Amino acid sequence: MEAPPVTVMPVTGGTINMMEYLLQGSVLDQSLESLLHRLRGLCDNMEPESFADHELVYLLKGQQGNPFMLRARRSLLHPTAPWHLRYLGQPEVGDKSRHALVRNCVDVAASHSLPDFLNEMGFRMDHEFVAKGQVFRKGAMKVVVSKLLRVLASGNTENTEPLSLSYLVELSVLAPAGQDTVSEDMRSFAEQLKPLVHLEKIDPKRLM
Amino acid sequence: MGAVRIRSCFLQLIAQVQEVSLDGLETYVPLLSMSQNLAKLAQRIDFNQSSDSDEDGPERESREPWGKPEPEEDEGTVKFQPSLWPWDSVRNNLRSALTEMCVLHDVLSVLKDKKYMALDPVSQDPALTKTPQVFQLISKKKSLATAAQLLLKGAEKLTKSLAENQEQRRQRDFNSELLRLRSQWKLRKVGHKILGDLSYRSAGSLFPHHGTFEVIKNTDIDLDKKVPDDYCPLNVQIPSDLEGSAYIKVSIQKQSADIGDLGTVSLFRRQPKAKPGSQMWHLKLEAAQNVLLCKEIFAQLSREAVQIKSQIPHIVVKNQIISQPFPGLQLSISLCHSTGEKKSQRASPDKSKPDDHLYVLEHNLHQLIREVHTMPHPASSPFGHKRLRLAGPMAYDKAEISSLQQSEGLLEKIIKQAKHIFLRSRTARTIDSLASRIEDPQIQAHWSNINSVYESSVKVLITSQGYEQICKSIQLQLNIGVEQIRVVHRDGRVITLSHQEQELQDFLLSQMSQHQVHAVQQLAKVMGWHVLSFSNHVGLGPIESIGNASAITVASPSGEHAISVRNGPESGCKVLVQFPRNQAKELPKSDAVQDARWTHLRGPYREVHCGRMEGRNFVYKMELLMAALSPCP
Repeated sequence: MEAPPVTVMPVTGGTINMMEYLLQGSVLDQSLESLLHRLRGLCDNMEPESFADHELVYLLKGQQGNPFMLRARRSLLHPTAPWHLRYLGQPEVGDKSRHALVRNCVDVAASHSLPDFLNEMGFRMDHEFVAKGQVFRKGAMKVVVSKLLRVLASGNTENTEPLSLSYLVELSVLAPAGQDTVSEDMRSFAEQLKPLVHLEKIDPKRLM
Repeated sequence: MGAVRIRSCFLQLIAQVQEVSLDGLETYVPLLSMSQNLAKLAQRIDFNQSSDSDEDGPERESREPWGKPEPEEDEGTVKFQPSLWPWDSVRNNLRSALTEMCVLHDVLSVLKDKKYMALDPVSQDPALTKTPQVFQLISKKKSLATAAQLLLKGAEKLTKSLAENQEQRRQRDFNSELLRLRSQWKLRKVGHKILGDLSYRSAGSLFPHHGTFEVIKNTDIDLDKKVPDDYCPLNVQIPSDLEGSAYIKVSIQKQSADIGDLGTVSLFRRQPKAKPGSQMWHLKLEAAQNVLLCKEIFAQLSREAVQIKSQIPHIVVKNQIISQPFPGLQLSISLCHSTGEKKSQRASPDKSKPDDHLYVLEHNLHQLIREVHTMPHPASSPFGHKRLRLAGPMAYDKAEISSLQQSEGLLEKIIKQAKHIFLRSRTARTIDSLASRIEDPQIQAHWSNINSVYESSVKVLITSQGYEQICKSIQLQLNIGVEQIRVVHRDGRVITLSHQEQELQDFLLSQMSQHQVHAVQQLAKVMGWHVLSFSNHVGLGPIESIGNASAITVASPSGEHAISVRNGPESGCKVLVQFPRNQAKELPKSDAVQDARWTHLRGPYREVHCGRMEGRNFVYKMELLMAALSPCP
């Protein structure tokens, strides 16, 4: 029996099977400065970089129950940079002792015609928001401190209002599947940020 | 006494003789009856006398009966009034005693009431409580001794604590030393141990060495002996493979005669001079970090040496990388790691010359082990090369992606730099050798101070001495690259020369010969002579092996004389002067030309022996020639 043609075989390996390890927490606005100071000291030595991103969440409602969700994100500070399309799978229900939330993650860079393309494919935009903040990195770990802003008029990113009086702090690592030492490193890093911010794994299903 | 008493008792029983009559009849005193005797005895009781006169009592009793019959002999001790009844005195005494007792009883009963009378103790007469002086002295001495002992104990404690403080300050106890260590190095506590990190991981290095050192307490100190000055209560234990010191030795060696040996230099060898306050652990840690740096650089270089493909493959042998940037040139990079136990005598103490380009090499090596991070925009994108993310949207093909991904390795950069350095030094040497060998014309080289690691430039001027302002047509700008030299001529020509030394030399020689001819051209303008013909590359005459010969013909202002100059790099210069016909020695008579005025035309040529002419350089000689051929008005 001959092997099926290459186009039918699913793509495995490489960067497709990346898992995202995630820890989340939040700080109030008034505690932001001290957290940024601590992060500047702990993370790799470079100037902290600010970002302003506009994220759109698309849903594809099929006949089955769960809609398929894709996140499209573009940078407001670098308009010429490509869009970033992301798929996040369900959190892996592994052993409870794993310290971080693990889920399958597929990242793709896309050109500026992405929203039109998704609309043509049948996706409908569910909601959008603007995230502004700073990004730090320590080795493979990325710490994103962002303020989420609600977009009042769809498509208009100038008119925004903050969703809350706090900043969202996310510690994430992209690693191939099967590396559990990553969560240990993340946990020890999160320990160093206590008591300024408590990073823990938050199951998104529980929030729904 | 007993005998006296018995006598007295006997006397009472025997009647006493009162008188003895003349007839011898004794008259006895009538014996007292019992009651009379008792009365008599009662009278004798003296209530005032104390009991110690008890013994004398019976004697007085015995005396008193003698006194009774003789009342006149009463000399005073006892008054005896026989008229009263014998119990009277007794009664009086008793009555007085009763009175006394009543008074006492009254006083006591009044006292018991405590309303009208109270009892107070009477202060003792101090004279009564006077203790002997010896006892006082002893007690004072004892109390003083106790007080002194307390004070001494306290003082001893104070001095001990003071001494301890001073000792501690001098010894800089473990905790304060640990604080100093922590201010300069990264430490963390794992269980009971304190570990530190001396690797370059936080700077972005990906070398797989763990680079952890352990901090241990230095307890092998003998407190009895004097503490040495460099004693430190803290000691660090570095991994065994990082002990000692290491440096990287880069050397470029010649293999053939014409290429010079560019020498050897040691990188990262600086012995950090110990500051007076720095501790031993600091030096140790710095040395270990240096060793780690050298190892990492060498590992990276050897990895690339094996991976990259070049025309002449690189050789990696143990701790040495040998490569040949140019044929005949050998570049060797070796890692020298000495553990410090044995000092190798063969290592020559070469002092690194302050060659600025080799410091640039070291600086580059420092920079190359750090990766410059770029943050992704938008922030949710994974880390990675910024331009590679465009590969998808921009639909790059394989060639573009591979060109993006190919980044120059460390070794390649080093080899390129080495090539450039070598090429530059050889160019300099070529120019200098030519300049020293050839005096006419002169070569001037102006090297640019600001260069890059892969490119330098030099401006070469070929001039004649004394005529710099006139003859400045040959100006060359040489851009020395990694493998080639690009020459930009003043007239706009661009010529690319290879790394061969001979090419440059030949080129410069040809330029110098061209310069001579150009100089004559400029000189003619100044002197008022007319240029009749000029050619940079003449096709006539002997063939030059280097370049081409150039020639010029100039005519005097009056037109009578003309000078022809032909200059070639190999054949040298040839000067011919054309005279008017009437100056020629033998004139060919011709029937066609009859008029005398035709004799003023130029005719035959005569060669000039430049070597025998006066003048320090060619242009000067030409000037003299021109001056000689122009008649003064």
